Amino acid sequence: MEKQLAFYFDASACTGCKACAIACKDRSDLPVGINWRKVYQYEGGGWVSHPENKDLLIPSNLFVYSVSTACMHCEKPICMEVCPATAITKREDGVVLIDNTKCIGCRYCEWACPYGAVQFNEEKGYMTKCDFCQDLQAKGQKPVCVDACVMRVLDVGELDELRAKYGNVSAIEPLPTSDLTEPAVVITPHKHAQTSGSGTGHILSVEES
Amino acid sequence: MDIREWALLIFTILGQLAAGALLVLMIVRAYAAAKAGVKEADRMTDGPLFMVVPIMGLALLSSLLHLNNLGNVVKAVPNLGTSWLSREVVIAVTFVVIAGVYTLMQWRKIGPTILRDIIGWIATLIGLVQTYAMAMVYMIRTQPSWNTITTPITFFATTLLLGALAVALALVINYNSIQKKDAKAGEKQLDLLRGALQGIAITAIILLGIEFLVLPFYMAHLGSAALQSLKIMTETYGLTLVIRLLLVFLGAGVLATYLYRNASESGKEKTLTILSSSAFVLVLVAEVMGRFLFYATHVRIGL
Repeated sequence: MEKQLAFYFDASACTGCKACAIACKDRSDLPVGINWRKVYQYEGGGWVSHPENKDLLIPSNLFVYSVSTACMHCEKPICMEVCPATAITKREDGVVLIDNTKCIGCRYCEWACPYGAVQFNEEKGYMTKCDFCQDLQAKGQKPVCVDACVMRVLDVGELDELRAKYGNVSAIEPLPTSDLTEPAVVITPHKHAQTSGSGTGHILSVEES
Repeated sequence: MDIREWALLIFTILGQLAAGALLVLMIVRAYAAAKAGVKEADRMTDGPLFMVVPIMGLALLSSLLHLNNLGNVVKAVPNLGTSWLSREVVIAVTFVVIAGVYTLMQWRKIGPTILRDIIGWIATLIGLVQTYAMAMVYMIRTQPSWNTITTPITFFATTLLLGALAVALALVINYNSIQKKDAKAGEKQLDLLRGALQGIAITAIILLGIEFLVLPFYMAHLGSAALQSLKIMTETYGLTLVIRLLLVFLGAGVLATYLYRNASESGKEKTLTILSSSAFVLVLVAEVMGRFLFYATHVRIGL
């Protein structure tokens, strides 16, 4: 099988502090409005009246957990499929990259990517996204999001090895189902993790993400 | 909707209008040639033919707005293997070029009639492929409100409906100018015009039926696969949807019926101008509103 670099994310221990997102923004010097790594808070459930005392509210299936996302360097990258300019390519190690000299900024990939990973840089006129810190990885270092994580919930590695170690989960709410693009990601689900596409909760931090 | 989506709206509507107009003109031309000979057919359709290329040209101009600049047209071509956007660019440019060649040959009467007709039909075929390509651009598996069979169906319905009514108007205008110059020539043309308008009116009514038939299926699809889109359509843009349906019903239903009846009786030539122009304008506005809803209600799966 071909090589496929992938992210690992341990949702069971993520506190949602966003250190990963900030480290990424800092290293790549991203302008306002563009965030290659984002952290979503996903919450659901509600409050119901106590059966014996209607004025007393008790929690019912309340949950909230965080999901840290970036480009998933998908095995079936839909952005690459739809790009008219062949500006998006998948390297031999599985990393999906944008060639900004070819990109015409038509934003078609933005319509297609279900992770909101490809983002348009108005000033430069082309699409941008997580490049897996390829320069750091070439030096044997890890991406800055991984190193910045206080809880050590992020990592990178070979997809097969990560799966052997952590299992096959690659989608929990609010991420889309993995059959769409086959994301190169392995997730340890939070204990309250909801099935992708079930719509049992909603994203709490839309403005921040 | 942002400027980019308005640019795409204008591009798809005008592109489909041009393709549909050429198709209907070719059919009308074949009908007229069979009934009254090539000379009368030329007289009937040569004038209206001049609208196709400028309309398609306008469509391409507006598409440039979303490609940022002219040089990018070339840069948008390489991914013909998997990207429908690349294919659409190539097909649209091919369409306008061949339609242009046909118009020029027809105008200057270059080459034998049979050759011109063949080129006209090739251009027509490419125009239909263009409508198909336009639909495929939106058939992305992460866009549930677009990724459904109703997208190509409605794109083709728009193509034929706008094309048919635009041609009806153009034929009437063309007839009026012939009549003004030469009353005798006008008399020969009147029979053909009335026959063509009857056919166009019936076509419009059938297409209206198709559009109304497809709508419940589309809503049901949204209900199961794109609930958010259905909510935006019925809650935010409910009024837009109702007005769109009303306008297309008035234009392609009520006015088309009157157009048919007035084209069937002799001595009603004057009303044809008003009927064909108002039917076209109403349906154009309705189709623009429909396309607006198409863009304004799409919600991508995922984040």
